[in-house]
Amino acid sequence: MSEQAAQSDLLAVAGISKRFGVVQALDEVSFSVRAGEVHAICGENGAGKSTLVKILMGVYQPDAGEIRIADRAVHIGSPRRGQSLGIALVSQELSLAPDLDVEDNIWLGSNRVPFFHRSRELHRRAAEVLASLGMDESMLSRRVSALSLAERQLIEIARNLCRESKVLILDEPTATLSDNDIERLFIAMRGVREQGHAVVYITHRLGEVFEICDRVTVLRNGRLIATHDTASIDRSHLIEEMIGGRLEALYPEPDTATDERVLDVRDLSVPGALRSLSFNVAKGQILGIAGQIGSGANEITRALAGLIPGASGALVLRGNPTPLAGRGAMLAAGIEFVSEDRAGESIFAGRAVAENLLATRLAQLTRLGMVSRAPFDQAARNAAKLVGVDPVRLPHPISVLSGGNQQKTIFGRFLDHSRTPEGKRDVGLILMNEPTRGVDVGARSDLYQLMREYCKLGFSIVMYSTDLEELLGMSDEIITLYRGEQIGRYTRAEANLPRVLADITHAEGRAHGAKEAA
Amino acid sequence: MNTPAGRPSNPLARLLDTYAPPNGRALWFLILVIAFLAALDAGGGRLLNLGTVFSVTQLFATYGLVALGFGMVMMLREFDVSLAGSFSLGGVVAVLVGGSNPVLGALAGMAVGVAAGLIQGGLLVWLRIPAISVTLGGLLIMSGLAFVLSGGTTISYPNRDVTRWLQESELGGMISHRGLIVLAFYVLAAWLYTHTRIGRDLIASGSNRAGAGNAGVNTSALLVAALTVAGGLSALGGVLLCYGLAAAAGQALADVLAPATAAAIIGGVSLGGGKGRPMGILIGVLIICLLRSGLTALGTGPKALDAITGAVLLFVAVLDGSQLQDRLIGWKRTLGARLGRS
Repeated sequence: MSEQAAQSDLLAVAGISKRFGVVQALDEVSFSVRAGEVHAICGENGAGKSTLVKILMGVYQPDAGEIRIADRAVHIGSPRRGQSLGIALVSQELSLAPDLDVEDNIWLGSNRVPFFHRSRELHRRAAEVLASLGMDESMLSRRVSALSLAERQLIEIARNLCRESKVLILDEPTATLSDNDIERLFIAMRGVREQGHAVVYITHRLGEVFEICDRVTVLRNGRLIATHDTASIDRSHLIEEMIGGRLEALYPEPDTATDERVLDVRDLSVPGALRSLSFNVAKGQILGIAGQIGSGANEITRALAGLIPGASGALVLRGNPTPLAGRGAMLAAGIEFVSEDRAGESIFAGRAVAENLLATRLAQLTRLGMVSRAPFDQAARNAAKLVGVDPVRLPHPISVLSGGNQQKTIFGRFLDHSRTPEGKRDVGLILMNEPTRGVDVGARSDLYQLMREYCKLGFSIVMYSTDLEELLGMSDEIITLYRGEQIGRYTRAEANLPRVLADITHAEGRAHGAKEAA
Repeated sequence: MNTPAGRPSNPLARLLDTYAPPNGRALWFLILVIAFLAALDAGGGRLLNLGTVFSVTQLFATYGLVALGFGMVMMLREFDVSLAGSFSLGGVVAVLVGGSNPVLGALAGMAVGVAAGLIQGGLLVWLRIPAISVTLGGLLIMSGLAFVLSGGTTISYPNRDVTRWLQESELGGMISHRGLIVLAFYVLAAWLYTHTRIGRDLIASGSNRAGAGNAGVNTSALLVAALTVAGGLSALGGVLLCYGLAAAAGQALADVLAPATAAAIIGGVSLGGGKGRPMGILIGVLIICLLRSGLTALGTGPKALDAITGAVLLFVAVLDGSQLQDRLIGWKRTLGARLGRS
């Protein structure tokens, strides 16, 4: 690929605007994607990233502006049209059929497939593309349901490459991947770049922007802020641009931990995932758990929440031996749980924000089987104010809220236990998995603040996160896990990124981690 | 083996890939049912004779096409209960139209099912109404029409040549021409399913419809097509039955739905969509037919037959349930961990 070709714009967007009702989602945004580059788009939730992606895909039509592909103005009227123009989305909701094998999935829905769908030519082409992404031909006959999430994402990329997509849009692909898998994905992305295609990379993880991306475009409130070479901008500058200069310390002061022991866990085991783990948590403390997917870290919080039937172990909660039982019993003992799967396990998507906020204390607001309207509204307004959700949003369905506001609503569910000192339940323990997944930088800071406020009220928090930076920023102590066993336990002063990373990857010393640590 | 995309190179393997049932379980189950019946018979000779075989294949000819259509729609994670309506209305229409020209009658009967499938599929896709409500409406409308058209009585079909030919047995008296026609559709379906895009698109849309759509499969067209083909097949099933019986009775034919559904599920079509193959459905139908004919031959009454069919269906559903499978895997793992440690 010649120097000049590498600099040419594959895709250019000029003055795109889009309005939904009163909300100006995009306001005259322009940017371009060159052949052979990985181009990050950064911005908080609501900045306009997903609207932009949907316009590029042909899902939405812009109100104004122009899209040019290889210097020709195009109209992208539908997703099919977008695909035929060479724009492909690798979305978070994967579009693979689990019951088919890889080859059929790669060619699924392609108009190149003949009626008799087997073709040597297609097989060869698919094998070539897989090879370019570092995968073997034997992969073609494997069933997708047997593949890991990362492999599925790679297959989805392969599918789009097979269809000669010029611009691949990756929407937060790493949110659910382990570090090793992220590395594989990055290798694939570099491969795509080498082949002269372009990748538009949407992510919340700033470390990845600097590791894999050539340029970064920042959006804020639907407006274009700037496009930079990643080499010419640093992290704090990028954050500043994303959140508009109100950069303050992301993580609150860790000043809430006490010496009073709240929880003792002995020999916590989950068959096939976790072996004899023991630890304790103090009042007001945030205990962080670090581990890759499959390390058993995720199972710790789930087991303590009573969500894993086969789990065993001895619990002492505030001096009382507490048997590890089902979710109902653990909740009654004062153990709260925040799932990493917000859409699936936390929110009631179709219901109002107020109902979501008060879902756990309807009993207190109910008389003779009827919810008392006035106290309900009052309680909802109070709770919304406390967790920082705009009370105007209370009657709206929670599904229209950003990830950050949804999570604040979920956090609001613990309030009842803290605000009623005479209440039935004690101030308890909150277990959290990936508390800020899919949450933008601004709202993240609010959530961190809330977590510390809960600790001030006397709650303790055990959190599992794959975002190590967050884990180090928030935790008073960190436990590291590898393959179901504890590797280390560090106080805040002892812990640092290289150390934790070495523990959870078992010191495989990979470039990805080392670079992020630097 | 389970995907239609396995690419065996030698002809025998390819034949097996197309026509072998999708999982061993259904086949074992068939053997189990035969053994069970034989044990009940206890050497009495009431079961293992040509008469029973013929009655099994006759029953297969009755349920087969409805079950095939039903299973195909179920692979897309939808339910078309109106197939029973197409079945009865198709039969009545064919008998009314096809007195002198049986082919025209059959086509008219099938047209009823095809039209029903097209209309209902269109409603499903364009108005996004759930299939169960649309097709339940379709079932009631078509059953009603069948009743009205037949005047509420049994109408006879005058063309005895057609009836005689359809009921004429082949292969030493094991199967009628009617049964062979139905079987031919299974063979054709299995072949199309394995060797063309159809099977693959069915599986993909059944297991992840939004995803298949994103990948470029026209899932709406596929659903309409599935309902249309299923409607046509079911109507043909009704036509063949009425021609074979030389009579049509609008109200009496709707009870094919339960056995056909049971057959599809027993044959390995998953309620969750995306799983199942024509040959699996074939085995499922055979199991149901065997149970019914076999037990009848042994002197069981019709009400008890339904109860037994129901029990078998429940048994399979429990075996298939993800709960049970998860638990089995859990037990296995725990056991493995214990054994590994000691």
